[in-house]
Amino acid sequence: MKLKQVNTAFLVTTGVSVLVFIYLVFLGYDEIKTLKDVIKIIASILFPIPMLFFVRFILIEHFLPQNTDEYKLKNQKPATVLLILTVIISISFMQLLEYVTSQKLEDNLIFAHLINSATISSYVLNYILYNNLRANGILSGVLLSLAIHVFFLSA
Amino acid sequence: MNLFFNNQNPKSNSSKRELLFTFQSIIVTGLLAFTAIAFFVYNDLSIIKGIKVIFAPFLSVVPLLFILSILRDLQKGFLEGNYSKAEIIKFCIITIAITAAFTGITFLLSKIDALEILLAAIMAILSAIFFLKSKIKDILGMSIVTGIAEGIIVYMIFLF
Repeated sequence: MKLKQVNTAFLVTTGVSVLVFIYLVFLGYDEIKTLKDVIKIIASILFPIPMLFFVRFILIEHFLPQNTDEYKLKNQKPATVLLILTVIISISFMQLLEYVTSQKLEDNLIFAHLINSATISSYVLNYILYNNLRANGILSGVLLSLAIHVFFLSA
Repeated sequence: MNLFFNNQNPKSNSSKRELLFTFQSIIVTGLLAFTAIAFFVYNDLSIIKGIKVIFAPFLSVVPLLFILSILRDLQKGFLEGNYSKAEIIKFCIITIAITAAFTGITFLLSKIDALEILLAAIMAILSAIFFLKSKIKDILGMSIVTGIAEGIIVYMIFLF
């Protein structure tokens, strides 16, 4: 059954990203002082939605691979490699950025929300509609590295 | 989950595209309302002449209704198949250009200091969107609407 093929990785990563999202909101709770901050946060959460609709509009069934065992087997390795690569690259990129600008990601809540909501929405879209395993690897990598960064690497 | 989603929409691609276009225009309408409220509350706008507020929407709604009534459909509607690579690139560039333009237009809107002028400007943009929605049912309309939405959001995030 296809219903049983629901990827556990999807559930885990979505759970993690929702946690990060809630954590970010609570973390920034003290910093939300004015109406302007609220507007900015709402805007950064809404940011990916029109873009995703546009992508869906263009690529309506363009790259729809069959969800077969063969396809999964073929893409297992590249997807895993991409996942690990993306985690390493984005963690080191964020560390470098924090080091260079000497600012914490938490101090720039808008950007954290922006990255997070953009990645979650494209993740869900990719999972439901396109089922592209390599894209899945990259998006999981970004979400995971954001989670690792926020939870472990920023004291 | 895939099965569930596929069974739910046994429609043709063009009707799916039309649905997406409708959603997108609803989002833009919401965003425009959001912009109006944000600027109204944050910039502490005042009403200079009350009578102007009542007549502000007519400035753009009346020409819109007139144009809608006399014009035939400009495009043939949504495509059933795929778009070619050249078309995709072209319309992505159009979207980015409109995004940049609307970031600027939203910036201009934020400079307005009277409620009636803001209202008239927002109504004019809304009328343009309704025009696109009802007459230019095509990828061009979709890219313009997307550009408007993203432009407003980009302004709100980075410049507001």
